Amino acid sequence: MKRTSLYDSHLDLGAKMVEFGGFEMPIQYSNLKQEALAVRNSAGMFDVSHMGEFFIKGKDAAKFVDHLITNDFLNAGQLKAVYSPLCREDGTVVDDLIAYKITDEFVMLCVNAANLDKDWDWIQSKIGDFEVQLSNESDNYSLIALQGPKSFEILKEIDPELNDIPYYSLQTNNEGSTPLIYARTGYTGEDGFEIFGPHTQIMNLWAKLLAKDVTPCGLGARDVLRLEVCYPLYGQEITDELTPFDAGLKWTVKLQKPSFVGKSSLENAKSSFSNLKLVLDKGIPRIGYKVEDSNGQIIGEVTSGSMSVVLGKGVAMARVNKEKYTSDSELFIDIRGKKFKANRHKGPFVKGGHK
Amino acid sequence: MSTIPENLYYTEEHEWISVEGDVATIGITDFAQSSLGDIVFVELPDSETEFEDGDSFGVVESIKSVSDLYTPLSGTVLEKNEEVEDSPEKLNENAFGSWLVKLKMSDSSQVEKLLSAEKYKAFCETNS
Repeated sequence: MKRTSLYDSHLDLGAKMVEFGGFEMPIQYSNLKQEALAVRNSAGMFDVSHMGEFFIKGKDAAKFVDHLITNDFLNAGQLKAVYSPLCREDGTVVDDLIAYKITDEFVMLCVNAANLDKDWDWIQSKIGDFEVQLSNESDNYSLIALQGPKSFEILKEIDPELNDIPYYSLQTNNEGSTPLIYARTGYTGEDGFEIFGPHTQIMNLWAKLLAKDVTPCGLGARDVLRLEVCYPLYGQEITDELTPFDAGLKWTVKLQKPSFVGKSSLENAKSSFSNLKLVLDKGIPRIGYKVEDSNGQIIGEVTSGSMSVVLGKGVAMARVNKEKYTSDSELFIDIRGKKFKANRHKGPFVKGGHK
Repeated sequence: MSTIPENLYYTEEHEWISVEGDVATIGITDFAQSSLGDIVFVELPDSETEFEDGDSFGVVESIKSVSDLYTPLSGTVLEKNEEVEDSPEKLNENAFGSWLVKLKMSDSSQVEKLLSAEKYKAFCETNS
């Protein structure tokens, strides 16, 4: 199993470590609830160095990425980030990623650790006549996600050069082979930064953030935080068998683009799924639990479920068959054989404070 | 490591058991509550439910996890602690003072296979 450059620090901090995407990662330090609330109310940081980084350089870099992904990348400005699914010709999703446009000729993709090899092979196979060089920089980069309303203030104290850049923007001096990149992105719904850099630099930053009392947060808190704001997770809301429409990602598919991989399939794709957000008065929904109507007919299942630390209630995202329910259907979740009423929720369970 | 009361029996699943006559009272240990973190949901069996030793008799849930509770003893539930179902955080606050179920044992000889406080302490030390 691989370890990140911050592994020793995690052990020093008493983290409980688990396998995730081929890495030994901290799931929790002292208390998951306190970690999650630190992000909502102040600032928390995550080691997400397991994520993969690909560089795409060359004359056609931005054009190539626009061709690969369903979202619009060509019209994104320099130093902008774009979230998008990466689809196959048949419209199913290889991975979801963030593409960072450093220049039109230098794009960084940040991909899920568990999908890295699959993504690499897929992207490689699509190069064709595009004038680009693809490189896997994952072993050269460490990555910290600093999240929470105090993120900017804290990071600015450490690096006075940092600007108050807008959400989904980046700042980099683009120096050296592994440039330091500040991106105003994240997976918690709060304001914050993802900071990509060489191992030593990121280890130093982690130590400085710790000295500023930023709460180290594990993957457990990260998962609850992203569920509270209804961000999808590859392997749960998004899978190899689903299209972006099935996964509730219609907003990321720009069919007006002249062409992109999967376009012709997605133009004709009709999804048979709805993605529901459910809140329970009692009981905690978990992944795989069945969603039923009042007659006990199974209409779908929970893709992510947990107790929300903000609401103090069980919350779930669920993928259900569109034809098996109507908007006024009463819904229930089967928890170990008992039916718990699930109320449909409009919008995210928690409103994050990102800009 | 918190103290482990001497007067109780234990299991490797981090449960404590107090025995009076043929009635066993079962709870989870301080080690269990501390490794679970914030306990947010507890589900316990109704009285008169029968269990064989090794059966799951309920669950405790933290924010991110579901853990089964296993009875080391066969028997019939006399009573469940509804207070803990209503306020699961009591398990975090005082695990040894928050029992889960009282069981009328059908085979009292099963008590012999439970761990003593000393043995449980040694088990925790080698497995933590």
